[in-house]
Amino acid sequence: MTAPLPTPESGRHTVAPQSPNHTNTAPSLLLENLSMSFGAKTVLREVNLDVRPGQFVALVGPSGAGKSTLLRLINGSHSPTGGSVTVLGVNPATCGRKNLRKLRTRVGFVFQQFGLVGRLSAMENVLMGTLGSLKMPRYGISTYPRPLREKAVANLERVGLADQRFQRCDTLSGGQQQRVAIARTLMQDARIVLADEPVASLDPSASLSVLNTLKKVSAEDGFTVICSLHQVDLALQVSDRVVAVRDGSLILDTPTPDTSEAAVRAIYEKAKGRTA
Amino acid sequence: MSASTDSIDEAGRAVPGVERQFDGGRNGEPKPAAGGPPRVSAATLGIPLAYLAVTVFGIWWIDIRPAAVAAGLGDIGRLLQRMVPPTTGPVPALLTLTLETLWIALAGTGLAAIASVFLAAAASRHFTGPRAVRWLAQGIIIVTRAVPSLIFAILFVRIFGLGPLAGALAIAFHSVGMIGKMMSDVFEEQVPAPHEAIAAVGANRMQNFVSTTLTRALPAAASLVIYRLDINVRASAVLGLVGAGGIGVALQTAIGSLNYRRAAGIILAIVVLLLILELIAYLVQRAVAEHADEHTESRLFAPGKEASTPGWNRSRLMRTGAGAAAACLFLFSLGQLSVNSARLGQAWGNATALLAGFVPPVFTQDILLGIFESVIMAFTATFFGVLIGLVIAVLSTRHLVTFAPLAFTLRGLVVFVRGIPDIVYALIFVAALGLGPFAGFLALTISCTALASKFFTDSLQNVDPAPIRALEATGANRVQIFVSGVWPQFVPSFIGNSLFTSDLALRESAVLGIVGAGGVGFLLDESVATLHYQQTAGILIGLIVVVVALESVARWARRKVI
Repeated sequence: MTAPLPTPESGRHTVAPQSPNHTNTAPSLLLENLSMSFGAKTVLREVNLDVRPGQFVALVGPSGAGKSTLLRLINGSHSPTGGSVTVLGVNPATCGRKNLRKLRTRVGFVFQQFGLVGRLSAMENVLMGTLGSLKMPRYGISTYPRPLREKAVANLERVGLADQRFQRCDTLSGGQQQRVAIARTLMQDARIVLADEPVASLDPSASLSVLNTLKKVSAEDGFTVICSLHQVDLALQVSDRVVAVRDGSLILDTPTPDTSEAAVRAIYEKAKGRTA
Repeated sequence: MSASTDSIDEAGRAVPGVERQFDGGRNGEPKPAAGGPPRVSAATLGIPLAYLAVTVFGIWWIDIRPAAVAAGLGDIGRLLQRMVPPTTGPVPALLTLTLETLWIALAGTGLAAIASVFLAAAASRHFTGPRAVRWLAQGIIIVTRAVPSLIFAILFVRIFGLGPLAGALAIAFHSVGMIGKMMSDVFEEQVPAPHEAIAAVGANRMQNFVSTTLTRALPAAASLVIYRLDINVRASAVLGLVGAGGIGVALQTAIGSLNYRRAAGIILAIVVLLLILELIAYLVQRAVAEHADEHTESRLFAPGKEASTPGWNRSRLMRTGAGAAAACLFLFSLGQLSVNSARLGQAWGNATALLAGFVPPVFTQDILLGIFESVIMAFTATFFGVLIGLVIAVLSTRHLVTFAPLAFTLRGLVVFVRGIPDIVYALIFVAALGLGPFAGFLALTISCTALASKFFTDSLQNVDPAPIRALEATGANRVQIFVSGVWPQFVPSFIGNSLFTSDLALRESAVLGIVGAGGVGFLLDESVATLHYQQTAGILIGLIVVVVALESVARWARRKVI
């Protein structure tokens, strides 16, 4: 994991890097008065957020603040109890099952637990990222069309794991597994990637390597990233914008250069003080 | 021991790759007691007492008197004398029937494996489709597990005519429940993360099922199917008794024509076949288990011609070769079932006639008495089998006995005795002693003894030896060591395995009547032969209810005890 990340090869990617401050396009993500409760328990209240294409947003806040719920509302795993979500111009809660599947092919999701099938090769796990664009079930690398296989190798190379492509996933380190999961997301050509605590189960150096990989590929392809994180220092290192949630409310939303580490730490301190 | 070998199906012990998943405490891994007296629950006392009560009644009902047993054993001894020296009769004919047995087992297991994937997916907790479909799948699993394959064979012979097709379907129907049940357990125990991740890329349910659920279950499923194949070969060896093909046909003919030497030769052929297959199954299981935790060789493929094509290495060759060989064998076995269109054309009519004849089911007093007798036979035989089995197990466990040749001989004997299906014992005993539950009781006792001693030996070997050594150091004698150091650790698995043995004995005792050894099997066979299908339905329903009810009681009791 301490190995240097591969440098992007120019000309391989057709999508030009976009500036994070592009404002003349429609937002990638728009949350309007978004509220969510499970039974009597309110998890999110009146959240408003407008994310421009290409931004890398770090979503911080103590555990149980509602970060995971927020991400699951965005990809349509949950339906909100109030307000609305618009992702890439679509409302996942109301678009219907078929459109939701179509939307999900353009929304990547990176999980804390990677979600890889351990006994299969890295390559096959990456290829599974294309299932949304295929009709039939697939089993085995050779059942995927050649162009997709070539794309899978290219994406594994972008995350620095081309040599490990035929290795069993459960023999890779945690950081490598998460990079395989990122390569799987890249297969979708997603316009927005949601990452739910992607480095929570990794050691610090692996965490940094994974986040830098995500940052690099998002800049190359110009997709938006909403990444929930525990580690304040990492959030400040990789993001363009920091959004903090506590007790279901959005309490901080500033561009990263204007955000002081102390301000973010205070969010956690207050939470600790109250629970103690 | 067609059903006794089912044995393991629940306890899950003989399925190496899946062992951990299915253990669920059911086969009672003895956990070293962490100090303090073992807790005695109502079930721990109540179950043995219930068995004792049923046994006392059973001794009266079956009329087991020491004099009768002695006379019976004398008769059996005289019959066995007429079996030596064994002869095989014409070898090519026997070989053909032996192969037919294998094809029946292969075809039946393959069909069951394919069907159970769908059944397991529908029956599992994660199934998101209509609830009625899930209930239906669970119902099919319960019913097919409760009906022994010989009973399915009787019905299918009526539908498809004599021959291996009926046999293969009977095997398939009975296996589908067990494979389906265990596979849905495998599905349910998977961590949900990969499934969620692939749903998030927009894959449909079918794609997601193949890529994450089925893929991850594959090593366990392969192991399960191989294990089940082993059981099914045993089961198909006796299907011929009801005309459903295989080597059992020859056995039936030999005994029917009083050619006991030939019968003995056929029985030996069955035992040898089963032992060879058990060895093969063991070796294949080990290979599958090794692949399942293949962390030594992390590279699954060699680099191919291009970066995106996987190349070939030994591991991939082996896996592909094994898969292709299994598929070819399965397809070939299907071809050996002598399916012809004329017969299939009649089958539909026969099946509808049979099913239409089922309504409304009729329950007569005879049916109830028959089922009752089957239950009594099973429980009484379990009681004796468990007691004798316990003695054999203690004598053949290494750290309890210092005289190794005895342990070795006993183990060999148990393997041989287990090799003979119990309906074959019943067949011989009926020939020696005449019709009635006494022959069935003896046959069941032998198979229960063999089965229980195998279970007990396995779990006695897992007993923590530390207390034994400690007691030895205090100068306690052998009996004291067993009572204080071994028994408290062993009792949960003892009760669990005993219940399990009686579960299997019940299914088996339901079919022994087919050869006239008492119980409801005789009525069932007769009702089909005489086209009294309403009675057939009554017997089937009664049997399923009793088997499922007793299984539930046993499951409850195991939970209480373990």
